[in-house]
Amino acid sequence: MERPARRRVPRRLRTPYAPALVLALVAAGFAAWAGQDWYAAAHDDRAAYAVQRDRALAAGEQAVQNLNTLDHRDLDRGLDLWEASTTGELHEQLTAGRDDFAGQVKEAETVSTARVLSGAVTELDDRAGRARVLVALRVTVRAADGTRSDKDSRMLGELTRTDGRWKLSALGQAPVGGAPAG
Amino acid sequence: MSTTRHHINRQRLRQARAARPEVVEIRPRPGTRGAAGPRGPRAAEEKASGPARPRPRRPWGLAALCALTVLLGAFAGWAHAEAESLRAEPALSNTALTDVARTSEVKGQVAEAVDRLFSYDHADPAAFDKAAKDLLTGKAVDQHRDLFADVRERADARKAVITTAVTETAVERIDGDRARVLVYADQSSVATAGGKAAAQQDDGVYAAAMLAVDTVHRDGRWLITSLDTFDRT
Repeated sequence: MERPARRRVPRRLRTPYAPALVLALVAAGFAAWAGQDWYAAAHDDRAAYAVQRDRALAAGEQAVQNLNTLDHRDLDRGLDLWEASTTGELHEQLTAGRDDFAGQVKEAETVSTARVLSGAVTELDDRAGRARVLVALRVTVRAADGTRSDKDSRMLGELTRTDGRWKLSALGQAPVGGAPAG
Repeated sequence: MSTTRHHINRQRLRQARAARPEVVEIRPRPGTRGAAGPRGPRAAEEKASGPARPRPRRPWGLAALCALTVLLGAFAGWAHAEAESLRAEPALSNTALTDVARTSEVKGQVAEAVDRLFSYDHADPAAFDKAAKDLLTGKAVDQHRDLFADVRERADARKAVITTAVTETAVERIDGDRARVLVYADQSSVATAGGKAAAQQDDGVYAAAMLAVDTVHRDGRWLITSLDTFDRT
């Protein structure tokens, strides 16, 4: 059986079959390994969690900064940004108090700018879409008479994810001398 | 994909048949080997039934195998590159919160360290120095001394006790054995000597403090390497 086969297939065509097959199998092995490695990397829960943490922090820092920035000459844009940065109860409060607040700032003629000194996430519930952040903030207020004052704030913010975006749902300053260290 | 290939194969076969009706390659070879007996008729059979068939089929199979090898190799390379790029995601290098155990360990040790480092009892200055020696390393040693130089002098003069209590901590990032923690703390001081005014000024008043602390994990402990009190520059 072997002899006729050899006759039919000239050696120069027949020879590379075995190495080619071996190469193909090796390649298949690599492909399978790389494929499952890729799948594992793409479905790494920790990676997804880390990405959400960074998104929540970035959104939190930006929102806290937005909510401490307001120019009496450009109130509408500032307050629109406040509303765009928030959701839930905080959003409702801001919307409800908008007109009163705008009146006060207009009268006081202040310009507030804020700078985030540092920020970090303390809690993150990826499934529920809730996060809690600390943001160290420096707010500079320029009064109508041109005097400037800096004030550092220890902000505590709560974020809620709505439609895939993190927005502030609560914001306050860390109480001083209140609760004991926990 | 296979249908296209088959189609092309068929087309080429047809072309080959039209161009070269007789197989030249297969026939002369047996002659060179010398064993002419059984081969003669076989070669004739092949010529009769389908002359070009056995030859083109095999190279095509081989070509397909090579193509498959190249494709698989290319996929392997590409998938590997994709996996690597996913792992290179900057968010992944920071294990704050993703590594729960390490995160709470850093938080706990930093809170305890800040409590000790920023509390001072005029009656027990050794405890303060010991805290600095145990918990600080690198430039944090100088930073801590500079921060407390004045405070310490005044506290000694007024026989004061300064107490610091950390109220909030959050880990900004953990990268291997380095971590950065944001700390909120309340400071209060009680003077047991000095003027009445001084006592009134200080007693029961809490000062809000915030600082960022860089730490390094060494010998199973998180040591503070740098204190950032966000000084105005």
